[in-house]
Amino acid sequence: MSSDVWTAGIQLAMAFVGSLGFCMMFRLRAGLLVPASLGGLFCWAVYLTGAQYVEGIFLPSFIASAFAATYAEVLARKLKAPATLFLIPAVVPLVPGSGLYYTISYAVQGDLEVSAGYGTQTLQFVLGIACGMCIIWALFTTVRPRKN
Amino acid sequence: MERNISSEILHQILNMGEMLLNSGAEIKRVEQTINRLGKAYGAARMDVFAITSSIVVTMSFPDGTEITQTRRIEQPAGTDLSRLERLNALSRRCCENGMSIQELAEGMDRIRKEDTGSWYVYLGSVIGAAAFSVFFGGTVQDGIAAGVFALFICFCQNVLSPFCPNRVIFNLLCSLAAGIGIYGVTAVIPVFHADKIIIGDIMLLIPGIAMTNAVKDMLVGDTIAGTMRLLESLLWAGALAGGFMASMWLMGGVL
Repeated sequence: MSSDVWTAGIQLAMAFVGSLGFCMMFRLRAGLLVPASLGGLFCWAVYLTGAQYVEGIFLPSFIASAFAATYAEVLARKLKAPATLFLIPAVVPLVPGSGLYYTISYAVQGDLEVSAGYGTQTLQFVLGIACGMCIIWALFTTVRPRKN
Repeated sequence: MERNISSEILHQILNMGEMLLNSGAEIKRVEQTINRLGKAYGAARMDVFAITSSIVVTMSFPDGTEITQTRRIEQPAGTDLSRLERLNALSRRCCENGMSIQELAEGMDRIRKEDTGSWYVYLGSVIGAAAFSVFFGGTVQDGIAAGVFALFICFCQNVLSPFCPNRVIFNLLCSLAAGIGIYGVTAVIPVFHADKIIIGDIMLLIPGIAMTNAVKDMLVGDTIAGTMRLLESLLWAGALAGGFMASMWLMGGVL
């Protein structure tokens, strides 16, 4: 149990630092670095919490991605800046870099069954991210008052 | 003379659209910005169509004159979020308070010249790769190694990619070279875990912005632009995977 907490703590810290790195890589203005990177931390926290209660990968990543999109939209309205600025760093911890690696790694080793398993995981993350963001955008664009 | 002024206006508005697209904006934002700017400069009607590689605008004035300009976007979109933010603020100011077309052009020039400095991008890549290497279960040493290879990848992206305009080939070569390097280093120094280092560096190359923008484009009704961008980014991701696969296969004999 305590090692789980330790792992989660490390992951959360790294989600923050990693998002920070991505913000800088995409040249986000220094003043926005912290609020944007916090999105990554919160998003991963939501994913971990979700994964405690819901099985599988799709649903937790769906919830986390929906959270990230909401966070980005709210922050964008508050700071009068495009939501993309906050969405990318927030959603980055969900990107299945690890799944993609093991999919190709096992495929090269000829273990197609394991590779397919990782491939499915990767796909679930991708679909979860996409669907989660879509739901929130659909809500925000519907609710937003129409300008002429 | 009148004609010249209106085509200068449209030219500058297209510049704005091009810069927005090249700094990582979604299609909807590009189209809406062009639309609002056009109306702010006296157009009665704006017909705007943008996809990732082209913008077409017809601007109709109340007196019945119409002008059309198109812009081909050649440069593969790099992402510059602070530029995107400044451009957005500039066009907002322009629409709300009004400004002359010279002022708008000067504002864009200033934004074009402001450079965040490439050290910022290098540092970001190193931090990002190192952190995600540890995030996915790597040790601190793996993180450091991922950071070092991130420098190499960032160098390729900044310095070598202008010589290789085809991003599919670029991703393939870049991941192939990084993969060979990482497997080589781990073969010599066994404290490193090749998988975790590569995962950290994969995160840098995955076209995340392009993919999220593609999904967003499709959702808000820009289906063609979204499909284009999605296909592009899937090709880039495929090339990235292919490059690392090839490096594994090549280095398989060494390890």
